Amino acid sequence: MLDEVATDIMITQVSDSLYTQLIKTYGGNLPSSEPHSLDEIRKQAFERFKSTGFPTVKQEDWKYTNVQPLVNRQHYALDTETLSAAIAIDKAIIPGLDAYRVVMVDGKYNADLSTAKDIPGLSVMPIDQAFERLCFAKYFSEYADKTDNPFVALNTALFTSGLFIEVGKNCQLQKPVHVIHVASASKPSFTQVRNLYVMSTFAEAEIIESFITNEGAAHSLNNTVSEIVVRENAKLQHYYLQVAGSQGNYLNHTEVYQEKHSLYNNYNCSFPGAAFIRNNINVRLGDSEVESHLYGVTLTADNQLVDNHTIVDHRKPHCESYEWYKNITQDTSTAVFNGKIFVRPDAQKTNAFQQNNNMLIGEKSAVYTKPQLEIFADDVKCSHGCTIGQFDNEALFYLQARGISEAQARVLLVHAFAFDVTSRFANAIVREYVEHLVEQGLKAG
Amino acid sequence: MSTKDDELLKELALEEYKYGFTTDIEMDIAPKGLSEDTVRLISAKKNEPEWLLEWRLKALRHFQQMQMPTWQNFEHPDVDFQDISYYAAPKTKPKLDSMDEVDPELLSTFAKLGIPLDEQKILAGVVAVDAVFDSVSVKTTFREKLKEQGVIFCSFGEAVQEHPELVKQYLGSVVPQTDNIYAALNSAVFSDGSFVYIPKGVRCPMELSTYFRINAENTGQFERTLIIADEEAYVSYLEGCTAPMRDENQLHAAVVELIALKDAEIKYSTVQNWYPGDKDGKGGIYNFVTKRGMCKGDNSKISWTQVETGSAITWKYPGVILKGDHSVGEFYSVALTRNKQLADTGTKMIHLGKNTRSKIVSKGISAGLSHNSYRGLVKIGPGAENSRNFTQCDSLLIGDRCGAHTFPYIESRNKTAKLEHEATTSKIGEDQLFYLTQRGIDPEKAVGLIVNGYAKEVLNQLPMEFAVEAQKLLAISLEGSVG
Repeated sequence: MLDEVATDIMITQVSDSLYTQLIKTYGGNLPSSEPHSLDEIRKQAFERFKSTGFPTVKQEDWKYTNVQPLVNRQHYALDTETLSAAIAIDKAIIPGLDAYRVVMVDGKYNADLSTAKDIPGLSVMPIDQAFERLCFAKYFSEYADKTDNPFVALNTALFTSGLFIEVGKNCQLQKPVHVIHVASASKPSFTQVRNLYVMSTFAEAEIIESFITNEGAAHSLNNTVSEIVVRENAKLQHYYLQVAGSQGNYLNHTEVYQEKHSLYNNYNCSFPGAAFIRNNINVRLGDSEVESHLYGVTLTADNQLVDNHTIVDHRKPHCESYEWYKNITQDTSTAVFNGKIFVRPDAQKTNAFQQNNNMLIGEKSAVYTKPQLEIFADDVKCSHGCTIGQFDNEALFYLQARGISEAQARVLLVHAFAFDVTSRFANAIVREYVEHLVEQGLKAG
Repeated sequence: MSTKDDELLKELALEEYKYGFTTDIEMDIAPKGLSEDTVRLISAKKNEPEWLLEWRLKALRHFQQMQMPTWQNFEHPDVDFQDISYYAAPKTKPKLDSMDEVDPELLSTFAKLGIPLDEQKILAGVVAVDAVFDSVSVKTTFREKLKEQGVIFCSFGEAVQEHPELVKQYLGSVVPQTDNIYAALNSAVFSDGSFVYIPKGVRCPMELSTYFRINAENTGQFERTLIIADEEAYVSYLEGCTAPMRDENQLHAAVVELIALKDAEIKYSTVQNWYPGDKDGKGGIYNFVTKRGMCKGDNSKISWTQVETGSAITWKYPGVILKGDHSVGEFYSVALTRNKQLADTGTKMIHLGKNTRSKIVSKGISAGLSHNSYRGLVKIGPGAENSRNFTQCDSLLIGDRCGAHTFPYIESRNKTAKLEHEATTSKIGEDQLFYLTQRGIDPEKAVGLIVNGYAKEVLNQLPMEFAVEAQKLLAISLEGSVG
């Protein structure tokens, strides 16, 4: 009992230290070019964060995901610098992919390593250079800050860097944009990155984001918020490929707002490595005749925790959404899926589908899943399904009886399990790459 | 929606609650308020032993420290716990020996509700009833006949007096005092309820049933049910409830505990028809109940069946803890909400033993301005080898201003477990309606038919007499609702 009290006090003190550390930096090393309108937004967000603090497992949204040990670490560097020469991006290279490359080192745009320059219709720049843009004023913090995620409020209040991408009107990009996020700091660091991607009307693009860790990097906690606006008739294919090392810890909030006739596809893939991954992917279907697809493949190992929270928010009639997440857990890892479909009173004729399948392989691994529906309109077709299982012994036997080794049979079965999702990838090269990573991440036995 | 539909919906909203009368009877009501004195008063009135009073007081202290939860999918109403009277009993002689001594007012009340308490008038050997009127049990029928087989079926108060060892052993063993705020409240102030014990190897010869009636104003009803099925025993238990129509909301916070030992089976069915409030959502019962069963022994089975049509707010999750190896838990539910009713209900299946199985079938129907939520937990513990769960929850929407919500929690920590969950939300198919109306069935009956068909999987689980009543109840509640 005494011990409990003692650790309690300790936790409060340590947590106070990061908390106060952040509070002290407020207003400190922010980009100097900031417009006044941003000041006010930051101030309000900061108040919001101060009133909630970091979430605990007592909060429904963080029930299975404890961030306290992360935020309670003794000290984080809040601003770091690594020389371009010391950065290796080969871990993120997707074989056979020809893309415009953007490299972000600890959240900062790296001009030396980036190749996405002077491409007609495509603007790529550090977010602090985009403050004067019309669409920045229009969309920044417009959607993400309406959610009650304390990390979004913290990010809005204190982000120091990020990426701005705009694909111009009627522009159909010839090549995908490959954004490589490198964690490189040699001291434990806390980075806050803020991205804004705008797809103008009739624009079409593919954005692939890879997360990697540089050789020799220390423990890092990355709090990223991406706001994405897909305007009328625009199409965006968006990939997240999480291949960072075990020092990496990621809080990744993605807020998508879709206008009429638009299409947004998200492919969210996590592989063994990063110790802690929490993705929030919220898609707001803001007008009629919108289509959204969310796909996920998560393969976990060791002591990893991967938590995917998604919200599909049907606000207007005649929209369609399709969500399919597959988790495979090994060793003592944990996978969390929390999917929510909202169908608002106006959203008649909605067609929404959600499915989550899990393969629990590790002796001590765990799966927590919460597929939810909140329906306020009657003329809709909504369904969800969820399963948890493991290798089918009969299938394993069948394959082995035909001369396939057990290890190979397992790879085949996992491959087949993931196929429902990987087969929907729009980009065949990325698909092959992901299938390869699944195979690679799968442990023998 | 067409105007015709609107009219029909209006009709539906106006459908009267037929059990809304009050009984004028002399009552013994405790003063409002909740304190240690209240608990002492209740305990003294029931002539309880010291250990039970201590147990109640402990629960009260927990209650006073607990916070109201906020995760539920409805605005929790402000309940002023000091503005409720925690004990109300008809003023009669303390012990009833024969029918003649029961207040005729009471008899006629139960007769009106269709629950005859006179054994002569009941078809011999169909159902034994324990009638609970406000805080006390009025009469338990067929006690002697059950006694021949060793079955104990009596009010909770009597059980405390006559079988204290059983009560002491099992009370709070499934739903601890600290389980949740309403369970703590109930543990502190429960006034009566039913107690059932089925001895080893006995198959209870008839259905057992409790009928709950709230009558008094400004009171809450806090009853407690404890059912123990000893090894290889079987019992089927039914529960029904009604309340008068009043503008104020009344609180009903019951606790039900089921214990199934080795090879035993308990089947618990509820037809819940508390007063749901009027069409503007005024009045009605807050039905905040904790129900849980424990499959304690190997090969035991507990099955919950519920038909929920009443209450302003229904908030309960009848669950099963599958502790014994090879034990089975089942949950079948139909929840119908209309007007401004709210329901947040579902189940919890906690798999602890090996080869445990659970099945959940939940059918929600929402009409009018109501909201119907399914919230369920399926939890597989690390030791629950080869356990199996199947969950199906469907929602039917009637009208475009109601809501249907699904919040399943699925947690697995064992790699040999298999779990499946599926849910759908839709409205009544226009092709189905067309098919039936085209064959000369009026739309209202057609909806009734479709809904009954939709709920059939659950209704089939009810004992005969209840199934008929439940079907009628669904039909009445749905009258005029064409979506």
